[in-house]
Amino acid sequence: MKDHLIQTRALSKSYSNEGVVTPVLHGIDLVIDDGEFVAIMGPSGSGKSTLMHILGFLDAPTGGEYLFRGSHTSSMDEDTLAKLRAQRVSFVFQAFNLLPRATVLQNVMLPLLYHPTIPPNEREQRAKKAIDRLGLTERSSYFSSQLSGGQKQRVAIARALVTEPDLIFADEPTGNLDSASGNAVMKALQELNDAGHTVILVTHELTTAQHSKRIIRIRDGRIEDDATDFQRIAAGSRENLK
Amino acid sequence: MRTSDLLHSAVVALSANRARAALTMLGIVIGVASVTLMTGIGASMEGVILGQVSVLGPDSMVIFLGKGPEGGTPQARSGFDSLTFEDVEALQKLTTVTGVAPVILITSKVSSGREEGEPQVIGTTPLYFSDLKLTLARGRLLDDTDLAGAKNVAVIGPDVAADFFPGGDPLGRKLQIMGRSFTVVGLLEAAGSAFFTNLDERVYLPLSVAKSMTGQNYLSVISFRHTGDAELSMADVKALLRQRHRIQNPADDADLDDFIVRSSDQARELFGTVSFGLTAFITLIAAISLVVGGIGIMNIMLVTVTERTREIGLRKALGATPSDILLQFLAEAVALTLTGGCIGVVLGIVFAALISLGVGIVLPEYGFALNGVAIVVAIVMAAFTGLLFGIEPARRASRLNPVEALRYE
Repeated sequence: MKDHLIQTRALSKSYSNEGVVTPVLHGIDLVIDDGEFVAIMGPSGSGKSTLMHILGFLDAPTGGEYLFRGSHTSSMDEDTLAKLRAQRVSFVFQAFNLLPRATVLQNVMLPLLYHPTIPPNEREQRAKKAIDRLGLTERSSYFSSQLSGGQKQRVAIARALVTEPDLIFADEPTGNLDSASGNAVMKALQELNDAGHTVILVTHELTTAQHSKRIIRIRDGRIEDDATDFQRIAAGSRENLK
Repeated sequence: MRTSDLLHSAVVALSANRARAALTMLGIVIGVASVTLMTGIGASMEGVILGQVSVLGPDSMVIFLGKGPEGGTPQARSGFDSLTFEDVEALQKLTTVTGVAPVILITSKVSSGREEGEPQVIGTTPLYFSDLKLTLARGRLLDDTDLAGAKNVAVIGPDVAADFFPGGDPLGRKLQIMGRSFTVVGLLEAAGSAFFTNLDERVYLPLSVAKSMTGQNYLSVISFRHTGDAELSMADVKALLRQRHRIQNPADDADLDDFIVRSSDQARELFGTVSFGLTAFITLIAAISLVVGGIGIMNIMLVTVTERTREIGLRKALGATPSDILLQFLAEAVALTLTGGCIGVVLGIVFAALISLGVGIVLPEYGFALNGVAIVVAIVMAAFTGLLFGIEPARRASRLNPVEALRYE
């Protein structure tokens, strides 16, 4: 039987600060397969970002299991996790996180510095290809400070794409954008998914989540709902608003 | 990350904050520049001094008059007149010395009729010329018949010829010294200076003539050469003179002697010691400067790590390992100190060249020189300073939690 891309069993996470333990995630059971476009939705403080960080190997769970393509990740050391981040996953952040002193091309090439198998002489070509895919070829020599918010986020998507990862995490990618730019960014993510990339979107906005094919709703660190039936989700959201 | 990636990343990071980088590396620049400059001056001075010493040749040795201590032993009281003609005869019998040449220095005006001046006037024997490696340009040197006959003849250096007989042939011309008239019989080749005395501005007379002119029954200096071992010759000479002067000095205390024996090698060693002392002093200053510069670098690197916390988080999210981050910040610190070191070397060389140009006007023997070893050591130490003071900030950067780093405002 083929292994799932992501599988968690009773995953939990809690933070302790000066002896005070704050639980954030409780018993998350989750399966995500290749090619999916999943939105993790929930209000602020629900634990959705923490879940993304754990799934993206940026943070470690305090309980339960996380299997990536069937491999247990809890026993992996920091260097192995860094290698997984370099090769298997990539991130698009709400605040873009571009290097301000670098050009678009240099920003997109950045992940390739840490990629263990892509040879240095292929870096530029791959980066240009990714920039071209996001329609930013003419901007490739611009510094990030010379770009609009929407353009910055598309550069961030090109950067996420350049290593051809198994999985792209997008954390509130439209949070800092106007609606037109936000739509363009979501369209770009949809196109990536259509081309076979697995996308996990973290958002608190239903309109953004509706670009995905599956919505997992989290509340107080627990999965509240996991559905592909958007009408039901929308109804649930309205219910929550009340 | 490859080395070239690390270097590129360091250059990009440093050039983004040029003013800060320049100010940060100032301590290193000053330290390395001062090392380059001071050791360069040391090398130039050493060149000058060794040039002065080497004119005489390594086997050249000299006995000067000693004074003896104030209220010293009776045997050391003879003071100024301690070196005698009998001492010379006794010295000539030693097998470990050769070319024993007694010298009487005369302080007097010299005149050619038209020109007048005060060149150094030396009464000596023919051996003196070979001791000092002085060679004849024209005419003849002093010989034994000049001494035996107390002839009023003189051998002159080229500067004396130029001063007293400008444009003319000095041979056969007359020089007036202390009321006596001397015929110039020989002109020496230019020899330069030794121990900052111009050998070319000298008039040599037969010793017997000098003795009768001054009425001096003691010698100013005795020049000789050792026959193989300077220390053995020196020991022999000291033992002989102490015996002759009735000096009890088994501990070889220079203060008890009424004479001083010096060799070229000794002078070279003395200058070597001075040069070593100078180098040690400069090294200390450089070390202090590098430590101060290093603290500045550590401070700035800590600020940089804090400022770039989000970037560190991003790089980790993109797959950078802790050692990638460590090396990146270490490379920046080393690039900073190494660049400072290189700028320091260039500045030091420029200043050393300017100083050699300036000093060369008054001291022509002073040439531009650098101490290559000191420069290499200074650059290596500068790079090491970057490593030493950059490691803690780099370690902090490498240990940052990526999630917290990404959230850092």
